[in-house]
Amino acid sequence: MTWHLHLTGLVQGVGFRPFVWQLVQAMQLRGTVCNGVDGVHIYVNADRDTAERFRHLLREKAPPLAQIDTIRMETAEPTDFADFRIIESDVQGQPNLLLPPDIALCATCRTELTEPANRRFGYAFTTCTHCGPRYSILQKLPYDRPATTMAPFGMCADCRTEYYNPADRRFFAQTNSCPACPVEFRLFGADGTAIDARQEMQVDVCLTALRQGSIVAVKGIGGYLLLCDATNADTVETLRERKHRPAKPLAVLYPDRATLEGDCHVRADEWDLLTGVAAPIVLLRRHEQPASGIAVQQLAPGLDHIGAMLPYAPLLALLAEGFSGPLVATSGNRSGFPICYTNEQALTQLTTVADYILTHNRAIAVPQDDSVMWLTPVFRQPVMLRRSRGYAPTYIPALPEGSGANTLALGASLKSTFAWQLRGNTYVSQYLGDLESFDTQEQFRQTLTHFRTLFNATPTLLLADAHEGYFSTQLARELSATWNIPLRLVQHHEAHLAAVLAEHDLLNQPQPVLGILWDGTGYGTDGQVWGGEFIAYKANTDEPFTRMAHFAYFDALLGDKMPREPRLSALSLVHEHPAAESLLRNRFTAVEWAFYQKLLPQNRLKTSSVGRLFDAVASLLGLTDQVSYEGEAALLLEEHATRFVEQNGFTTLRSYLPRPWFGTNVPTQHIAAGVLADRLANVPVGQIAATFHYTLVEVVAAVARQTGHTRLAFSGGVFQNALLVDWLRHRFGHTHTLFFHRQLSPGDECIALGQLAHVTCTQLL
Amino acid sequence: LGHGSGGILTHKLLEAGVFDLLRNPLLDTHHDGAMLTFGGPVAFTTDSYVITPVFFPGGNIGELAVNGTVNDLAMCGAIPRYLSLSFILEEGLTMTEFWQVLVSIKEAAERAGVQVVTGDTKVVERGKGDKLFINTSGLGEVHPRAAISSRRVQPGDKIIVSGPVATHGIAIMSVREGLAFDTTLESDTAPLNHTVRALLDEFGSGIHLLRDPTRGGVATVLNEIARDTKTGVDIRQAAIPVLDEVMGACELLGLDPLYVANEGVFLALVAAEVADRFVGMLQSLPYGESAAIIGEVVAAHPGQVVLTSRIGGRRVVNMLVGEQLPRIC
Ligand SMILES: [Fe+3]
Ligand SMILES: [Mg+2]
Ligand SMILES: [Zn+2]
Ligand SMILES: [Zn+2]
Repeated sequence: MTWHLHLTGLVQGVGFRPFVWQLVQAMQLRGTVCNGVDGVHIYVNADRDTAERFRHLLREKAPPLAQIDTIRMETAEPTDFADFRIIESDVQGQPNLLLPPDIALCATCRTELTEPANRRFGYAFTTCTHCGPRYSILQKLPYDRPATTMAPFGMCADCRTEYYNPADRRFFAQTNSCPACPVEFRLFGADGTAIDARQEMQVDVCLTALRQGSIVAVKGIGGYLLLCDATNADTVETLRERKHRPAKPLAVLYPDRATLEGDCHVRADEWDLLTGVAAPIVLLRRHEQPASGIAVQQLAPGLDHIGAMLPYAPLLALLAEGFSGPLVATSGNRSGFPICYTNEQALTQLTTVADYILTHNRAIAVPQDDSVMWLTPVFRQPVMLRRSRGYAPTYIPALPEGSGANTLALGASLKSTFAWQLRGNTYVSQYLGDLESFDTQEQFRQTLTHFRTLFNATPTLLLADAHEGYFSTQLARELSATWNIPLRLVQHHEAHLAAVLAEHDLLNQPQPVLGILWDGTGYGTDGQVWGGEFIAYKANTDEPFTRMAHFAYFDALLGDKMPREPRLSALSLVHEHPAAESLLRNRFTAVEWAFYQKLLPQNRLKTSSVGRLFDAVASLLGLTDQVSYEGEAALLLEEHATRFVEQNGFTTLRSYLPRPWFGTNVPTQHIAAGVLADRLANVPVGQIAATFHYTLVEVVAAVARQTGHTRLAFSGGVFQNALLVDWLRHRFGHTHTLFFHRQLSPGDECIALGQLAHVTCTQLL
Repeated sequence: LGHGSGGILTHKLLEAGVFDLLRNPLLDTHHDGAMLTFGGPVAFTTDSYVITPVFFPGGNIGELAVNGTVNDLAMCGAIPRYLSLSFILEEGLTMTEFWQVLVSIKEAAERAGVQVVTGDTKVVERGKGDKLFINTSGLGEVHPRAAISSRRVQPGDKIIVSGPVATHGIAIMSVREGLAFDTTLESDTAPLNHTVRALLDEFGSGIHLLRDPTRGGVATVLNEIARDTKTGVDIRQAAIPVLDEVMGACELLGLDPLYVANEGVFLALVAAEVADRFVGMLQSLPYGESAAIIGEVVAAHPGQVVLTSRIGGRRVVNMLVGEQLPRIC
């Protein structure tokens, strides 16, 4: 009998056909395997039992990176196969595939780089079936060399032999190449003129430049990276000036474990992340005195953490090892631009930042930043801070499908992503950046177009945030008109909650969940700026979302000026307090002070934002009054509190909540006044910061007690705070069930998926 | 009026005063309307003026009402000739205040070279107005060489601003909010017709479009242009003239100067070939000293206004949507 097996899921670009080939050899089956636009298709001759066993083993022994969604098996037209072959891909049909994320350089390939006898010794573009770029070079489906930006490169005889040799690691490796059929470098100076150097010398030229304190832009996997000597304070300072990036932390590329451990505490789970297939940037606690002498104050001003990464691409391995010390490795863009990924962009935009630009002729089809994560210090809860290279655009498992949904959600604004539910799969795009920037908007549109081309599809329903000022919402209106499809707006914090519920498959479970949704800004149903919300979720009811409580409103002043200036949050929260003037007066000019005093009583827009409360506390403690990147104030506050907790444990402090306290309005002003009073009484900053965190934990406890919920779900940018997450787990671990984001970031990157999930659960009625 | 202002003034006396002060042969006929003769194309415009406070640094509502309508005519490529003038006065306005407004109307009309040829006055009860509202309409003869039309705007055109932006709006707001700056900002209200006429004499159809960015500021006008002409507009932040004090006040108030009102500034979209000469000449004319090319019309991103910031980032300058709702998370 001849059987046809159709496998769906993440089954391409992960060494799946070679795996099938090996498996059938062991089972001595004959037939064919090929990639299609909707998965992998296998035809085999076998009796029913053998076929069943084969199906079982396909799942059982699948390659580690594969994620088999379904295997459909049915009898096919009897064919007498003479052998087993991997045959040409079938490009017909409706695309329905999970796209393979980029895979970090594997250990074997990395070792080969350093072996002088190996023919890929020092070859900057080595890959195998287990590693290399995937999503970032994908132009069409199914995933095959001609569908990628490797298409123009022919394989030499040796590579061809490897490619067709089932015993070889590069058996059917679509990205295979070597120094005889290479991807080629081109090196440019700051003035954009090509520097004439032999291929094998170009990395050395860059290394020399780096040692001399130059800034080098290098074309990586998802885009250009800017590299410079992380121990050279002047160079790092120059990079900051040229990039117009005054304080936001810069990531550091380490050559090896020893150098990394000399600078940072690295625990086993962190090491696993750094060396895993996604290889994100991981924020690590640095030593007081880093051994390598990195310029701590220039890299991460005021912070105790370093964003560390290991070489995830062979080119980065050659540079890091050749340099043999830590290198700053930050995305190659000028402030306000998305990451450069074409050679043309690099040569126009990066010449003002870099002294050298190392490009190559393998195109990047999809730009991506590096992903960023950290682990909470005590409970080791992973927190995704930016989800991009290595993770996107896969989202598994798919959301429960509502009647063949084909829905596109356009997410929020500052940390934009989009999510698409299509043909039973759910895709969440990489982090696409701040949509305030025109160029980011263009990139957002392009990435959308790329998806539509890949899948040959147009959605039938659009979702967007209820904030009409967001570009994503305006774009949704535009697309809704162009495609003549309906648009639904989803409230920001309901989307946050739906996202975390979806990640835990809770959308259909009967037990009620209390969502604790704290962030900076989200447009509320009452027209105010929400950000400190408690929303109960009850599945399969007419109104699954109910706002149970929120932080008491305070004045939202002057639009986007307030989030940029924590002093305004402080003023807004404590201006009625008699002691406020003594602490805050000198943060303002006389004109400012007079104007804001006048403005406050007549201001109409209110906010419940916990993000702004963090800002206010950071300002009252004198940590910062003007921030240059989002979350700066909260990060500084968290670091101070963490140091205190490290010395004192999760001690029960005296919370800033009034006692007893109940109600549905968390007394925001009262909490801020408590901070103010302690500050004036010269209580140490670390203790106040810790007490503030403790207060937030107590707020959760009080509201949960009042509403009677024991299942708590957390979302919103505030829950990127590792200390807060740990403290919540410490406090509720034994009494409550807690749900945090897993694959997605708690920040606004999760909004797009949340919008999809929101519609799913409101449609399930 | 009348009450509490010393001296009881009847409506008739009031009108007599207006006629007396603004007298000219056409107004003197005391007809129900003025009878005018034109030889060619005519531009016609109307606008109502409502402002708090009525007196502000650099001017008052009367001057504003004349300049505003004169400028609207100038923006059509016309040479302003005749104005109508209607007052709605709230009881309680003092005669002194009214007289001051009238005098500045007279002076403004003389500066602009226009005659007030018809008018009206109404008085409303206290609380039903805000001291003084003025409506002016204007007629002007279209300059023989003018060819002003948004249909003539095309990619490549240069966008020129005649002077520092946001001054008027910030001057008004400073008074209203009681901002005590070291120097007092003054409104830029001015008649632009003579300046525009000189430019039309020289450049004629090289000038494609003229707009005065009053309410809603430069951003709103540029958005209207991008929308109406289905082209893109690119502007450079560093090229846009803004007075230092105005910039400081904008920062304090959390405002973008591009959205703040102007009264003595115009935007010109001119053919690329004449742009440099146009700016050169404008800089030598009254109210044009700080004129600058701030950007150009492009074929890319039709309907959108894109600003390149001082540090190089680009952002879309949208039509203003209501309140200052924060977007940053
Ligand atoms: Fe949010
Ligand atoms: Mg007008
Ligand atoms: Zn490999
Ligand atoms: Zn080769």
